[in-house]
Amino acid sequence: MRLLLAEDDHYLAAGLKKDLQAAGYAVDIADNGIDAEYLGNEAIYDIAVLDLGLPQRNGIDVLKNWRSAGNRLPVIVLTARDAWHERVDGFRAGADDYLGKPFHIEELLARLSALLHRARQQPAGELKVGDFTLDEQQQSVSTADGQCHQLTGIEFRLLRYFLLNSGQLLSKSQLSDHVYDLDSEKDSNVIEVYVRRLRQLLGKERIETRRGQGYIFRDSL
Amino acid sequence: MHSLASRLSSGLLISLLIAFALLAVLVSVNIRYVTDDYVASRLQHDTETLLATISFDNEGRLLLDAQRIDQVYNQPFSGHYYVISSGTQSHYSRSLWDQRIEHVALESGEQRRVIQSGPEQQSLLVLSSGYTLQGYPLSISLAEDLNPIRQNIEQFIYMFIFTASGILLILIVLQVLILRHSLKPLQQVKQQLVLLEQGKIERLDSNVPAEIEPVINEVNHLLTVMGQRLQRSRDGLGDLAHAIKKPLTVMRQVLRRMDASEPDRETLTEQVDEIVQLSDRILKRARLAGHSHSGKYFCFDKDLSALIDTLGLMYPQSNIQIEQRIDENVNCPIDREDMMELLGNLLDNACKWAQHKVRITVSSDQQLNISVEDDGPGIAADQVHELSRRGRRLDESVEGHGFGLAIASDTVSEYQGQMRFSKSAELGGLNVDIVLPLRHKSLESEK
Repeated sequence: MRLLLAEDDHYLAAGLKKDLQAAGYAVDIADNGIDAEYLGNEAIYDIAVLDLGLPQRNGIDVLKNWRSAGNRLPVIVLTARDAWHERVDGFRAGADDYLGKPFHIEELLARLSALLHRARQQPAGELKVGDFTLDEQQQSVSTADGQCHQLTGIEFRLLRYFLLNSGQLLSKSQLSDHVYDLDSEKDSNVIEVYVRRLRQLLGKERIETRRGQGYIFRDSL
Repeated sequence: MHSLASRLSSGLLISLLIAFALLAVLVSVNIRYVTDDYVASRLQHDTETLLATISFDNEGRLLLDAQRIDQVYNQPFSGHYYVISSGTQSHYSRSLWDQRIEHVALESGEQRRVIQSGPEQQSLLVLSSGYTLQGYPLSISLAEDLNPIRQNIEQFIYMFIFTASGILLILIVLQVLILRHSLKPLQQVKQQLVLLEQGKIERLDSNVPAEIEPVINEVNHLLTVMGQRLQRSRDGLGDLAHAIKKPLTVMRQVLRRMDASEPDRETLTEQVDEIVQLSDRILKRARLAGHSHSGKYFCFDKDLSALIDTLGLMYPQSNIQIEQRIDENVNCPIDREDMMELLGNLLDNACKWAQHKVRITVSSDQQLNISVEDDGPGIAADQVHELSRRGRRLDESVEGHGFGLAIASDTVSEYQGQMRFSKSAELGGLNVDIVLPLRHKSLESEK
């Protein structure tokens, strides 16, 4: 999952990025409102964490601009200004969730996952698609036969994206967009390697290849 | 309380009544004088006519030329009488019949006017004059009955009083209408104050008569100044919160990555958590406007629904219904942000624990009554006391029912209100009752 982190405090952003990457997110940081708005309009992000106190353009305005442009990117507002009337203003501007600073990273991760599930019409809690259950904390997957497989970072990211978009045709570049952040070397051949690895775990027929187009994840056979 | 309207109308009413009473007295007295004078002047004229019929013969006997005397003096009790006397001789008009009127002999040139009772309850104006004719002294008294003319006067006065009362009544009605019309701006100001308290408007309409315009302008000015002052201090506190919370967030991050075996990690984490909660609560309490008022009052129609929408977004998974039982025209002269904070925390707490249903009931009389119930697990009777106490202590770090309710409790005590916890009779969960006294008792009672 590709995440846009709009936060102007570099130390805080760097720390958050590490935590979020560990939790399986590809994270890009925007340290001002104008960059944040621009990046958010690129269709590569699955979710955004938005600080309201951004320089150059206020977070609320960024959010309003996204929404008025029809951008439905799921947004968690992260702010030190957590009075109720500010919260109401935040939700009115189009926020999907609101978290007051200082927060526990566990709470942010729980809310991110809940919001991603909600955005994909999945129930909260564990991500269950077909016979598979993805444990987002442990980054492991259990298959129909009850076996639990530990996943590597990229495997986890890739599988989560497949599960949340099951039945849809996903191109290689799309997959790499949502698995890697801006700073990573992008090599779509690497995606093939990870797809092969996932096929070994889940069964070959689960991930169907459309030549020249991409992959489709089948939740039922 | 003195009412301008009743003072004005009673003043005007009294002055109108006095004016009309004086007018009535003056008219009735004057008209008598005028008619008496008129009758007297006619009598004077008749006296002169009568004088022309009188002569003395050579022996000094008084003679009257009966042919030239008006018939009215011959009809019995006609109301017109004369008495003529000279020395021991005297003549009475035939109209007097057997009655007599008082008559005194006067010196020549003397004249006297009296009113006396005459025959048949007549009220006579008697004009007596003294002359010297052909060298003999002569006194003539001429009398006319005033009753017919007095009856006319009486009728006139009755008519006058009747008409005047009618006019008075019309004037009073007119005056009430004028008063009402000219005090209308004051009524409007009063209504606007109520709307202001209900949070439906933020300023008073300055389109008012010149007399009260300065007051309205001053009130608006004060509203602006106080609103700005509150906003400034709130912005400052917001910035402070922002400034404190950022490093705290970073500290938490650092602590989290610290080696778990580090002995100070636990202590530091606890300390940071304590700073977080304390600063949060203190800053939130400092932001409260309290009765010192701000520019914006809470409006149940608008602001509560925004709050409930927000809660719906905050708890998207749960299908909790928030039922509103809000009295119409609830009067809530309480700062918008304060009330948002209070209701936000109460409803958030209720939503956290509720299964399906949360209910908020609001009514206002002399005070604002709010109760928030849920159908969650509620609390045991012995915990009720504990919860109320805990809310007041600042150094308490509590999860669940604690923190939000502690902030709500701060808001309530800032407004000198009361907060009670009990078991919800209908929903079975926690019931929080809040009573907030309202500031403008006078406005309240007049509504």
